[in-house]
Amino acid sequence: MMKTRREVILGMAFGAVLMAAAWAQPASAQAVAVAIVVHPATEVDDLTFDDLKSIFRGERQFWDDGRRVTLLVRAPVAEERQLILERIYGMDEDQFREYWIGKMFRAEVAAGPKLVYSADMARDLVTVIPGAITFVPLSDVSSGTKVVRIDGLLPSDPGYALR
Amino acid sequence: MRRLFGFALGGLLLAPFPVSAQLPQTEGPFLQAFLFGDALYTIADADRPDGFKLGQMVAHGNATLSQNVVFFGEVSVSARNSGYSLAMERAILRYDFNDAVKVGAGRYHTPVSYWNTEFHHGLWLQGSVARPEAIKFGSRYIPVHFVGAMLEGNLTSAPLHYSFGVGNGRGANIAGGGDGGDVNPTRAFIASASFRPRGLFGFRVGGAFYVDRISDAGGEYADEQIASAHIVWDRGNVEASAEFINVSHKAIGSNESTASPSYYAHLGYRLPGSLRDFTPYVRYEDMDIEDNDIVFTGVLDDYEAFVAGIRFDFDNLAALKAEYRGEKLGGGDRMDAYFIQASFAVPVSGGS
Repeated sequence: MMKTRREVILGMAFGAVLMAAAWAQPASAQAVAVAIVVHPATEVDDLTFDDLKSIFRGERQFWDDGRRVTLLVRAPVAEERQLILERIYGMDEDQFREYWIGKMFRAEVAAGPKLVYSADMARDLVTVIPGAITFVPLSDVSSGTKVVRIDGLLPSDPGYALR
Repeated sequence: MRRLFGFALGGLLLAPFPVSAQLPQTEGPFLQAFLFGDALYTIADADRPDGFKLGQMVAHGNATLSQNVVFFGEVSVSARNSGYSLAMERAILRYDFNDAVKVGAGRYHTPVSYWNTEFHHGLWLQGSVARPEAIKFGSRYIPVHFVGAMLEGNLTSAPLHYSFGVGNGRGANIAGGGDGGDVNPTRAFIASASFRPRGLFGFRVGGAFYVDRISDAGGEYADEQIASAHIVWDRGNVEASAEFINVSHKAIGSNESTASPSYYAHLGYRLPGSLRDFTPYVRYEDMDIEDNDIVFTGVLDDYEAFVAGIRFDFDNLAALKAEYRGEKLGGGDRMDAYFIQASFAVPVSGGS
């Protein structure tokens, strides 16, 4: 059956409204639980959330054993990246970029975060780079990865900070 | 589309940081570099040059030489009436023992002022077209550069950032940093600290103290003390900072000292929603040079300015700023000036 012109216009308008709503809606960062993973030789099992913020913000750059922290960060758009930017940095992508350029320009850090393009890449690199720390979705944690507790909690525990 | 474009550019920005699943580069030397630049158009009723001007082109690099040794370098090319000048702005070799103890030597931006160490020469990073007058590059009010050695670090449990330095202090030209060696046997000392509470990310309060002896062609003639304090809130959409600096001088052998204070207050607010690329800002600044100051008399005048402008981040790594500046020099009539500046940052890849 042929649609009337009015129905077509209404349908197009409805579609446009849906697209606009989807555009305006920030990506949800609530659905994923993020595990903090470190190099297996790093002598840390539990971090406070404040310590974690300090490490990811580049304020703390050394582990207690003297090894320099290497920060591995997922590329933009990844859901877990959005959660980390929101909970740890309180920044959007523009502010996050300017924050790290500024830190490097002020000689506050020796190097900025290293970009990883997938959870697999993050998980693989963190096991081979001494001092590395990264974050992956809980669903991507596999045996052999060293997951750090945050305030004594694992990602599967109720009340975990990065969910 | 714009968001996707932004994400892609964000990826490009961080992509140069060497990451490879096959060859993770963590032990060998590698370089992360940036280029900064700006161009300016000025309309002024003062006797300053107006029209188009190419600003500073700045190359900055962080080289990680090993686990604990890092090098920071910054070189600028500046437009002059007679051509271009090349300058080594910063060159710092530093050994990081840990977060709390980092020892370095070289040419620094003197941590006697918050703005002086926060923004450096890359104008894309700062909210306004120009620095406050007291802190501008080439200023004689404070020694912007510091050649010497520095002990610095972060006490993460406090949390406090500190630095102690010993260096040459001002050169015979007091705007210079004594690059060719100290012009007198009395070294300059700097101590600075800032408190950055963890629970208030983006907030900091701090201060600095600097002492030096000043010489000219005729020899040593004055002792200098500089004290400063700052308070900053830079988080979310708000960028607010205020700083007070007092420079005092005393002729050698005299008991009388002079005080020349200055301050500024700067406020920027990034608009919300669809206007988030626009950041209006205002600043008020004042510099009061004491009449009989033995160092500043004939060199510096009182200065007062009201600055208002807007920054438009038309790209992830480029910004356009339009600024009005109403200035009074030496208590004279107000001079109006208008500026339009384009500034940018370019990440440059590097490797061992």
